[in-house]
Amino acid sequence: MLYRVMDKSQLPALVRGFMESYEVVAPVKRGERYVFDTVDSPDQIALDYPQTASSAKKYLFPPVEAMMRFDARANLVQDFVQEVKPRVIFGAHACDISGFNRLDLALAQGKYTDPYYAARRAATLVVGISCMPTDTCFCQLMGADEVQFGYDLFLYDIGDKYLVSMSSVEATNILEACCEIAEATDDDRRAFRLATRRHQAAFNPDIPHVEDVPMLMDVFHFDPFWDELGGRCLSCSACASVCPTCYCFDIRDVLQEDSDAGVRERTWDACTSPDFALVAGGHNFRPTGRDRVRHRMYHKLNGFMVNHDRMLCTGCGRCVAACKADIDPIQVLRFFDEKGARDDR
Amino acid sequence: MTDSVGASPLAVRALTEAPHVMTGQEMLMGNAYRPWPARITSIRELTAHEKLFEFRLTDERVREAFVHEPGQFVELSLFGVGEVPISITSSPTKQGFIELCVRRTGTVTEQLHRMQCGDIVGLRGPFGRGFPVEQMRGNDILVVAGGLGIAPVRSLINYIHDNRSDFGKVTIVYGSRTPADIMFRDQFEMWRHRKDFDLILTVDEPDDTWDGEVGVVTEPMKKLDINPANTFGAVCGPPVMYRFVVEVMREKNISYDHIYMSFERHMKCGMGKCGHCQIGHQYCCIDGPVFNYWEAKNIQGSM
Repeated sequence: MLYRVMDKSQLPALVRGFMESYEVVAPVKRGERYVFDTVDSPDQIALDYPQTASSAKKYLFPPVEAMMRFDARANLVQDFVQEVKPRVIFGAHACDISGFNRLDLALAQGKYTDPYYAARRAATLVVGISCMPTDTCFCQLMGADEVQFGYDLFLYDIGDKYLVSMSSVEATNILEACCEIAEATDDDRRAFRLATRRHQAAFNPDIPHVEDVPMLMDVFHFDPFWDELGGRCLSCSACASVCPTCYCFDIRDVLQEDSDAGVRERTWDACTSPDFALVAGGHNFRPTGRDRVRHRMYHKLNGFMVNHDRMLCTGCGRCVAACKADIDPIQVLRFFDEKGARDDR
Repeated sequence: MTDSVGASPLAVRALTEAPHVMTGQEMLMGNAYRPWPARITSIRELTAHEKLFEFRLTDERVREAFVHEPGQFVELSLFGVGEVPISITSSPTKQGFIELCVRRTGTVTEQLHRMQCGDIVGLRGPFGRGFPVEQMRGNDILVVAGGLGIAPVRSLINYIHDNRSDFGKVTIVYGSRTPADIMFRDQFEMWRHRKDFDLILTVDEPDDTWDGEVGVVTEPMKKLDINPANTFGAVCGPPVMYRFVVEVMREKNISYDHIYMSFERHMKCGMGKCGHCQIGHQYCCIDGPVFNYWEAKNIQGSM
């Protein structure tokens, strides 16, 4: 991977460089929380943020998105072109980028490409920033604490400088035009190793590292634990909205008032919604909270792994903060961690 | 927010008229969410709740590119009402037309039942993995259907019918609630005296005229003489039926991977994206809807 170093004082110049051609989205402080939002000045960016409340997936996969226009009387699709704004997501953590890469597997790859997602992904540059884990971060357990691809630039904080991994021509051109970049010195390289070491050592040791989680998801599929965990679910879908990798959606037709014209749009949906697995005629394949929460965790910690060789959880910890009923993957890891440890029957 | 956007915007298109250079396959796959207009060419009432609709895609290129396997499904759109997945009930040997057997059960199907010949609907597909007809070739086939489950397997039955010499003994066991609920009865009546199809109809609630079997499909199945080494099972019915039917097939020593079942789920996008049809780690819409029993055993929550 190609890398250079740049002085931290040059960061505003880099942001302004991107602003000339792109809308820039970055972490900003809102009250006590941090969120990804559009910025019009480098000063607004809070790059030293712990974690945003929700992920940046909305820029690749909006909560509501028009798919096509139609004429309901004639039952025909009408001409429709949706333009996608070129954007930079500036200051994404490794887990966020890892989340995009996992969304790519689900939405952009496979037999069918989702043209809406693919167009946004292609029109979006990603600039990553190194981070320090919070108490609820467990990305290292989900293979999402570092990324090797899926970004254009990645800035590693090494004190007064950034070590910059340069991954695309488009972003490198802007970097070179706006900033003084230099070859790394031996001190820079040592500072980088120190930073990665410090990052590695900072994870919360109370979140258990459990081996063979996908198999455990099958082995303990019928454990009463799921009744207890799923029984608490409020079906509010907060987990799925903040999640960087939840991509389930609903499709609905919206008619314009007093007209036969309308829009077919898709909206975020969640497998924890009671009607999610309902079929015509009234049969519900996942009628209880137990079924739904277990399915959500199963897809995150087993199903996606079986198909794509990585978890559909990045360990970002957002659902830990968002869930009012204390349902999150850490609870599942704790359950596996405790299983057989105390009641060794 | 900046207005000085210099990089050229990308676009997603759902065009009415595709450029003339596109092939039918490119039109179908370019934006696979886009339904194509299809005209209703025939409507036949099957029961009080089910009708058989025949459609013809209006664009010639799309029509020619639309080639399905028995057991696959389409997404049917009535714009402004919505979209529903429906299994194709005609055989691919019937070219240029698509038959769907539709029960009146929700808003879209309710509206469809009010439509007439000549009306336009939107269709996209075909989606999913159907019955493995190439693998089934040369073998005996045991088809077991319950209720509306006859719709997807009729595609296979008609395919076998049109390629009859390619298959061995064919037995169809079809269960309905009452004699009035039996679909495609005229087609089956026509075969009643044929030697190359064994047809067993059974009902839960017989009337005075009924001279067929009474009770669940598994009872007549148990009496069948089956050569397990070269028999394939094809099953479709209400969710509760599968376990019992498969049990009898296993008792008859049909191999796990020779028992094929078509599952019902809400396949909303058809493309393995939206998540509604997930069963365990699989998507019913692209990994199925037809799974063999071995695969199904390996999917949490399949049966």
